Amino acid sequence: MLRIAQGRVYDPANGIDGEVRDVCLDGGKVVEELPSHGPRIDARGMVVMPGGVDIHSHIAGPAVNAARKLAPEEHRADVLDRTAITRSGTGGTVPSTFATGYRYALLGYTTVVDAATPPLAARHTLAELRDTPIVDAAFLVLMGNNLPMFKLIRDGGSDGAGSVTEAVAWWLEATGGYGVKLVNPGGVEMWKHGNRNVTSLDDEVEGLGVTPRRVLEAIAGSVDELGLPHPVHVHCNNLGVAGNWRTTLDTLDALQGRRAHLAHLQFHAYGGTPGKRPRSRAPELAEHLDAHPEHSADVGQVMFGPATTMTADAPVSALLRELTGGKWVNADLEAETGCGIVPFAYRERNYVHALQWAIGLELFLLGRDPWRVVLSTDHPNGGSFLSYPRLIRLLMDREFRNEQIGRVNQKAIRRTVLRDDLEREYTLGEIAIITRAGPARLLGLADKGHLGVGADADVTVYGEHEDREQMFATPRYVIKGGRVIVEDGELREAPAGELLRVAADHDEAIERTLRPLFEEHYSVQLANYPVREPWLLEPARRVPARPDGSGR
Amino acid sequence: MPERAATCAGCGCGCDDIEVAVAAGALERMTGTCVIGDAWFAERAADAPLVARVDGREVDFAEAVEASAAILGKARLPLVCGLGQTDCESQRAAVALAEAIGAVIDPAGPVVDGAVAAASQAIGLSTATFGELRDRAELVVSWRADPVVSNPRLLPRLRLDRAGRAAERTLVVVDARRTATADEADEFIELQPELDFEALWAMRALVRGVPLDRDLAAQLPLEPLRELTERFRVCRYGAVLPGPGLVATGDGYVNALALLALVRDLARTAHVVALPLRQEGNARGAEDVLAWQTGYPAAVSFARGHPRARPGEFSAAGMLERGETDAALIVGFDALAHLPPRAADNLRRIPTIVVDPRPTQTAAAARVAFATSASGVQREGTAHRMDGVPVPLRAPLASERVGDEDVLAAIKARIAREEGT
Repeated sequence: MLRIAQGRVYDPANGIDGEVRDVCLDGGKVVEELPSHGPRIDARGMVVMPGGVDIHSHIAGPAVNAARKLAPEEHRADVLDRTAITRSGTGGTVPSTFATGYRYALLGYTTVVDAATPPLAARHTLAELRDTPIVDAAFLVLMGNNLPMFKLIRDGGSDGAGSVTEAVAWWLEATGGYGVKLVNPGGVEMWKHGNRNVTSLDDEVEGLGVTPRRVLEAIAGSVDELGLPHPVHVHCNNLGVAGNWRTTLDTLDALQGRRAHLAHLQFHAYGGTPGKRPRSRAPELAEHLDAHPEHSADVGQVMFGPATTMTADAPVSALLRELTGGKWVNADLEAETGCGIVPFAYRERNYVHALQWAIGLELFLLGRDPWRVVLSTDHPNGGSFLSYPRLIRLLMDREFRNEQIGRVNQKAIRRTVLRDDLEREYTLGEIAIITRAGPARLLGLADKGHLGVGADADVTVYGEHEDREQMFATPRYVIKGGRVIVEDGELREAPAGELLRVAADHDEAIERTLRPLFEEHYSVQLANYPVREPWLLEPARRVPARPDGSGR
Repeated sequence: MPERAATCAGCGCGCDDIEVAVAAGALERMTGTCVIGDAWFAERAADAPLVARVDGREVDFAEAVEASAAILGKARLPLVCGLGQTDCESQRAAVALAEAIGAVIDPAGPVVDGAVAAASQAIGLSTATFGELRDRAELVVSWRADPVVSNPRLLPRLRLDRAGRAAERTLVVVDARRTATADEADEFIELQPELDFEALWAMRALVRGVPLDRDLAAQLPLEPLRELTERFRVCRYGAVLPGPGLVATGDGYVNALALLALVRDLARTAHVVALPLRQEGNARGAEDVLAWQTGYPAAVSFARGHPRARPGEFSAAGMLERGETDAALIVGFDALAHLPPRAADNLRRIPTIVVDPRPTQTAAAARVAFATSASGVQREGTAHRMDGVPVPLRAPLASERVGDEDVLAAIKARIAREEGT
């Protein structure tokens, strides 16, 4: 039982914008009222928001772990000691699991979505999430380069026909996943055919009878048909390539009328011609999103400094390897995906890096609906989640932003509209939208991202500070499930979080269809593929799919 | 007689298509196993009522936990090692215990097993899972590996054995002598020991069009290596299987670096991967669990309250050889039979706690020995195959004993109670 008394509350999902009021918590939920003499936090002069929700991050699983192994230098320089309540760990751009949970919590985040798990490795991701304390976590299951799925799509027509839909539901159930992720659909499979790729939605995936367009349409259709709480989450083809904004628009056009979320839009918003210097096409994409309420995006902001690029889009990593000449991991995962990892650093003076940084800001500042253009750095691809406070300051503080714009490569800035009329400053209410209310709504997490009665008692209390970076970097209190986890910037306890997984029905008969495809493509037995181990799957919360669309 | 599904963790293949017939609580017959698998199951199938011994005396579980906590609590620099033959769940508990007592932890299996993984920390790695190698690799080079002996089902599972290999696929063996694997291959390239680095560097030079040192080239089987390099350059999907021999001579770490650098160079023109072979059934899992919990895959010290990694300095064999540790907790590893002689001698001089389902030489010599149920035989768990794919370990047999994970958690809880935390 806890009353957070007299704070300035920002709860945009419930139309509350800085009103001074109490938030009452009991039994892990927000409640209407509490007896006045119970335990309380005096939040006078403080800002109260729902716990943060990260819609797109990379925190667990084989790719993240391969990146950890690559980063002993970073880990040496950033250590966490064991304490009476916490495990030890290491940080850097790819922290150890315990450090990841603690640091998200210390930042005021209480829900995190890992955006890319190969289904074959679900046990690995689940085991890491079990060691990622405090935050509730979900993961998205990679399906855009899945050979059995390609076969079903090829045989079944393009509109989410029966077996594809059943297979999508089967895969989610088999893995404990929350939603569906497509990464460079078709392109990663082509990478495994002699280092090639696809370059447009209508390129044929060699010998397999599908195109990126057919994969997109079929899977997006299935996700809609199942009524999954989160729409299909798409990492478009041609990431990072100059001129790729056309592919991004083609993708959105192909998905018109269907719900879809585009991951890290910044990396897909480049004009120019392939191989030449890119320019910004953020305004065109922002305009398209404004006009299509069924579509949303997270930005994938680039922040200057160290990063680790890790992606299922393995051909992109091979290009980055040529740029850095440094460490490179490639991992082909049978029948499902690839993986590439390259440690990276974004530099202010570099034309491309500065352009990427600026395009991210353009997307934030030009987008008219913050509910559908939400915050991410594609951690750790564009920078660590620890850089969110600085990003918030860039959005809230025009003077600071202009000063930063003045420091970076000016040729790049001239290829954007940042210098023109982007005087916008985000309000605290808008920050609450892009960091919690918006992501929760896009994820279909009805109990997250708001403080209405019945919501999860996940609350972050910030001390008012003119320097928004400082304010958002060190919340005064973080409450998770009604328990005070962080007090005055220090962890007070570190309970386990829950796995958030979807509940979508499928017809058991789909296994008969899948069995021969499994035997053809996998090196594990079908019987051993679905995760059933309770210690990996629990504690979990099932978020139901709503095939009738009533959840939306 | 019921047939039960099982996964074999007898080597890094993690074959999950094993069937065992159980009669009267014992293994009656196994289908799908190789010779290593047969021995692996047999060694773990015995289930005696014995739970634990302290100084050779049979004791109950609580007393053994008490004795273990006392030994570890008194130690200045305890070592936790082994790990490659237990499940990920127990590895997780071992890291937690090591952290709680400020120990050094290192998955000390066959010393050469982790060398390629260590080198991959420095430059990265292009790799793939079994299914990709089976379905796509048209050129596969076994480099000082003898999987027919070390991982008997690997070649058949990758359809690379003579009987299963399609005509358009090629298996080449590079080794010092004609091995059993060479008998399965299309081509054998004889390479003297101690010349791995030179051969790999020459191939890199060929890929990059850099002139070769003539004296050096004269020592190498240059023509076959040149041909091999050319085949890699034009193939659609090529693979190298580095084996323990790569790091057994010369500076093993540098040899491994050279091999990974060659694969990286080749990968610029063709799709080329490497899959380091692993002997222990869950050596890969040990690295993975350590990496996610600490940020480092091996040789981690918690002596200062946070993880620090120093391969060499904090490796189990090295610490034991130098006599730097004053107590050891060994999980699922017959250390006395496998460590270098000097390390084994020093291990005999310090108090040890052994957690193992098998009655090993190391368990017999231990101050405290726990006889546990075996992951994969009497207990469920998870193992990571050598290619990183997690597979479930089944429990076709029942057991009265507790698992490695339970023992490690109980010792940790006992020590925590002592500390009052």
